[in-house]
Amino acid sequence: MKYVTKLDGVEREFEFVREGGKLLARSAGREQLLDLALVGDGATFSLLVDGRSYDVVADVDREKVFVQVLGQRFVVGVEDERERAAHAVAGNKAGGKQELRASMPGIVIDVKVAPGDEIEEGRTLVVLEAMKMQNPLAAEAKGKVVRVLCNKGEAVAAGALLVELE
Amino acid sequence: MPPFRRILVANRGEIALRVIRTAQEMGIETVAVYSEADRGALYVRRATMAVCLGGSKPSESYLDIGKVVAAATSTGCDALHPGYGFLSENEDLAEACKQAGVEFLGPPPHAITVMGDKVEARKAAQKAGVPLVPGLQEDVSAERLVAAAREVGYPVMLKAASGGGGKGIRIVREEKQLVEAFELARAEAQSSFGDDRIYLEKFVTRPRHVEIQVMADKHGNVVHYGERECSVQRRHQKLVEESPCVALTPELREQMGQAACDLARSVGYVGAGTVEFLWSEGRFYFMEMNTRLQVEHPVTEMRYGVDLVREQIRVGAGEKVSPPPEPRGHAIEVRVNAEDPATFFPSLGKLTRINLPGGPGVRLDSAMYRGMEVTPFYDSMLAKLVVHGADREQAIARCIRALRELRIVGVATSLPTALAALRSPEFAGGDYDTSVLERIDRKPTAATAELAALAAAAARFLLAERAGAASAAPAGKGGRDDTPRWAASVRGQRQWRTAP
Repeated sequence: MKYVTKLDGVEREFEFVREGGKLLARSAGREQLLDLALVGDGATFSLLVDGRSYDVVADVDREKVFVQVLGQRFVVGVEDERERAAHAVAGNKAGGKQELRASMPGIVIDVKVAPGDEIEEGRTLVVLEAMKMQNPLAAEAKGKVVRVLCNKGEAVAAGALLVELE
Repeated sequence: MPPFRRILVANRGEIALRVIRTAQEMGIETVAVYSEADRGALYVRRATMAVCLGGSKPSESYLDIGKVVAAATSTGCDALHPGYGFLSENEDLAEACKQAGVEFLGPPPHAITVMGDKVEARKAAQKAGVPLVPGLQEDVSAERLVAAAREVGYPVMLKAASGGGGKGIRIVREEKQLVEAFELARAEAQSSFGDDRIYLEKFVTRPRHVEIQVMADKHGNVVHYGERECSVQRRHQKLVEESPCVALTPELREQMGQAACDLARSVGYVGAGTVEFLWSEGRFYFMEMNTRLQVEHPVTEMRYGVDLVREQIRVGAGEKVSPPPEPRGHAIEVRVNAEDPATFFPSLGKLTRINLPGGPGVRLDSAMYRGMEVTPFYDSMLAKLVVHGADREQAIARCIRALRELRIVGVATSLPTALAALRSPEFAGGDYDTSVLERIDRKPTAATAELAALAAAAARFLLAERAGAASAAPAGKGGRDDTPRWAASVRGQRQWRTAP
């Protein structure tokens, strides 16, 4: 089975083949022998890469995997072949939709965009105040603002839809 | 006989637990106070008794002096420990305790008042012979500014008397810009703070934050426990602290220690206190005095083998300070905050998994537990990791090792930031200052990112394989259900949150 990972804008392809108790991982013309053991709680793994040992937390949430390894924390997008093919089809049809949701409960301090605005990736859309700190919420990809569903001064719950983009 | 029968701990989180631990060791009972949000908190469970103060907002609970003192008297406490933050530097609480006949484990109200006022504190320091950043504070006029700036040397800073947190500061590099900058600064201060008072200070280049821990008893004795260096800061908040400070010579350390003791003595200080200095180019200048136990006090405890909370309790009961033991080795503390490592924004959520570090020379002060919710009501600090080593090199290596063992799942933390700081050549070399974090590269290496990607893909493969879906035909064939079967088995356990 092939998987494509996306991390900080870099895509990598991995193919895994079972070799007895171990896994052969192929990526960018390189082969590594893995031994991956799920430990205890369902998200902690012991990963041996060509005999090198890593203690890994990998929490899988559908196509997002939250990884902690070597003291660092990563959010890695992972698609298998089928998902990738399905997304390619869906992407051609719908043109891709983007939603900005409140990551925590807070108060909307500022709304920086209006419907119709063309925006670049990383552009701040809404400023949310939570824990006495102002948090700018940015667009994950470039696009066009379709709807703005929040107002300045409004209190919003975690997960509330704030801005819809395409 | 314990010096007190029962202590009310007027705080929450790790510092409340810290105080409870020492009290237990001394055979003293403790009373925890809590807000509705903290009902299940670890320190509440570890205390002898617990009293609910009210709502989750600090003003409805931890900051309400009346409620706190009433909790102390109704439970028969004979002493109160204020911790840090909240009411710890509030002279009204100290006064209210006095009236209620409860020993306040901190300085007398007068000392809190003097040190709490920037201008008064500066005057007290000057009187006690403690060096101040040279400048001009009073009767400021254009002519007097020009003369003062010539005397202290350029560059100089113009600061608004009512400013703070980095606001209302202008740097002037040449005399010809000074008068114009003064007029602008005054107008700005008037419109921003409603107060046009400006003062001048020498611009301190590459400052380091170095502070002295003092302890005073009620008999006029003041001792100090050397310094802590706290220059690794983000947004003016400390992240990594160490002792000793590599920039100090034994002579300078003694001078700073004496200056801190003199200042404490001059205001009739009692208990634990910290005098903060700026160090620059071999000289030190008074910044402020914190009239309480500091967050980073364990750094001193590790290096001196002393329990500062025990000393606070002892001197509060009227005993004399004990002479500080000889310091040994090197100690480092890292604050573990629930925050995004890239933006430093707070990260809220539930702690679904925790792995604690262990091994030689490692101490963890924390009140977190598996399943704990990080809420928006309080400070985002989850833990303090403190290590001790034979020397600085060993302490840094040990700290990095322990940071890699410490694993918190459910919120983003400051761990990667601290790791990057400890690994940076600037920190390791020791020649750093308060802006070190702005300069170091905090991005993970390409090899680590590659490993994370590999681990993520392999984890998905393994879980899919276990669910029996991996042997599926290649893409496009078969028309299977879109949702992989394994998804159902892992969905229930996800509690991660992405930071904003």
